[in-house]
Amino acid sequence: MSSEQLRPEISSHKNVIEIQNLNKWYGNFHVLKDVNLTVKKGERIVICGPSGSGKSTMIRCINRLEEFQRGSLVVNGVEMIEDVKNIEAIRREVGMVFQHFNLFPHLSILENLTLGPIWVQKKPKEEAEAIAMKYLERVKIPDQALKFPGQLSGGQQQRVAIARSLCMSPQIMLFDEPTSALDPEMIKEVLDVMVELADEGMTMICVTHEMGFAKKVADRVIFMDAGEIVEENEPNEFFNNPQMDRTQLFLSQILEH
Amino acid sequence: MKEFKPLPALPAPNETVGPVVWIKANLFPNLINSIISIIMISLLASVLPGVFDWIFISADWSGESQADCSKEGACWVFVSIWMQQFIYGSYPDEQLWRINLALIVLVLVIAAPSFLNKDSRNKLGVPLFLLYPFVCAAFLDGRLFGLEYVRTDYWGGFSLNIFLAAASIIIAFPLSFLWALGRRSDMPFVRSVSLILIEFFRGVPVLALFFMGSVMLPLFFPEGTSIDKLLRVWIVLILFMSGYMAEVFRGGFQAIPQGQYEAADSLGLSYWQKTLLIILPQVIKVSMPNILATFVMLFKNTTFLLIIGIFEMLSTTQTALSNSNWLGGHAPEGYLFVAFVFWCCCFSMSMISNSIERKLDTGHKN
Repeated sequence: MSSEQLRPEISSHKNVIEIQNLNKWYGNFHVLKDVNLTVKKGERIVICGPSGSGKSTMIRCINRLEEFQRGSLVVNGVEMIEDVKNIEAIRREVGMVFQHFNLFPHLSILENLTLGPIWVQKKPKEEAEAIAMKYLERVKIPDQALKFPGQLSGGQQQRVAIARSLCMSPQIMLFDEPTSALDPEMIKEVLDVMVELADEGMTMICVTHEMGFAKKVADRVIFMDAGEIVEENEPNEFFNNPQMDRTQLFLSQILEH
Repeated sequence: MKEFKPLPALPAPNETVGPVVWIKANLFPNLINSIISIIMISLLASVLPGVFDWIFISADWSGESQADCSKEGACWVFVSIWMQQFIYGSYPDEQLWRINLALIVLVLVIAAPSFLNKDSRNKLGVPLFLLYPFVCAAFLDGRLFGLEYVRTDYWGGFSLNIFLAAASIIIAFPLSFLWALGRRSDMPFVRSVSLILIEFFRGVPVLALFFMGSVMLPLFFPEGTSIDKLLRVWIVLILFMSGYMAEVFRGGFQAIPQGQYEAADSLGLSYWQKTLLIILPQVIKVSMPNILATFVMLFKNTTFLLIIGIFEMLSTTQTALSNSNWLGGHAPEGYLFVAFVFWCCCFSMSMISNSIERKLDTGHKN
């Protein structure tokens, strides 16, 4: 299934993320400047940009790992405000995968996966374990269920982390440079899982420099620099016909190798 | 194609193995080390035989009174005659089973985690652990259980050291964790209260705290109310221990990567779920060696209680030493025995801590 076929389908979908005039400061440092972004259900978005451009910060605002000072953010109809109820409601709908996996080292793989369903969704243990095994099979490592994270390779750990998020049946998945900490051989196994997930219609926002992945699955590629969205376009246009000189420079630098 | 035949393994040449080689390499590698070795060996040779002889060979092992100690060496009769006092204090003879039972239960409660599985450990083991000090105190007191009432004045000996240390550690554990959490809190009030508590109980010498607990504290209570001395001491020990442990936990918190908090948050865990399920187990793991060091310190500090007239082991030893039937100068035997008993306990605590560390080690250094 290619993204071209999906696009008309998505266009009629409702917006699951609406970000308006988002501004964030670290102390006096202005990290996000008037960011506007609307994401439809089922849309796959890849965000790229140099380090320090605010791309991670922006997606971390979406599940409130970062606070913001100005602007508004609505996820699945719930407005992000100080209220713990709203924050928890949003976090239930949003899964996140981190650069450094962040598995819980003191829990087995299975326990890592069942923790959320049991404690947050209050599912019985048997049901949670069934769900966990289902997703472990999907990321192709059911045989590792009883091991601990430290016994797995980086690629396997990242696939477990993806499965852990999926166990919470999120509406939206955020990926924060999911392959940046991996050995080259392991990047593919993680990207394969992500491509599969995209094919199933998951709404995804990925911060990544894997341009092959962007070309293959993204509906839209966003380029950020200095806390702003510089350019956004569908992948073909974005890579072949960038409009801004800053985008051109960035692309020429990362595509050179 | 030629076949590969491994060469047979040969024994190492004689000049590289064996005790003589070891001694040469470790004790006499060069002139200075050889001199040091010779001095140390001759020192040991001159002291050890005498000590060994005093402790074992020319010691009196059995008898009824001081008169039976006729030999030159140690008078272990002193220790064996006073043994009950050393262990149980003045607790009534026919009630000693209560102390024994409480000690056995304590061992079971400590050992429980290693033979319970993870679920029952959290659901059963932890509540039992936290209940133990209160049930144990009530049981030794007796009134609540319909047993003979034994006033705390009669509690004493080494069992009291153990009970006080265990009961303080068990209560201090959750309390200090709360203080450490409070110290990291975003709320200024919670943070400053925790900080003041921690710094006060860490900064004041434990002896001063004991005196405050036994002498000053009663002044603040209304006329006529009296709080048991042992209870006040227990509270002081808990607070003192909590101050230290809170700092140990703080170090543990700093070792937990930010990503662990973020992963827990992104799963939608609440603050307490995150703290108890994700952070606490990892904090305990990294803090284990320091937690144990603090335990050992507190355990040994219980001997300071002799200063304020609690009949713990050191204090019963002194009482025995000043008994008119035993004025023969048995201090070396008495104190050696106290040291030996404490050393055994602290050493076993080290062993337990090592085994816990191995158990907690899931090989992940994230």
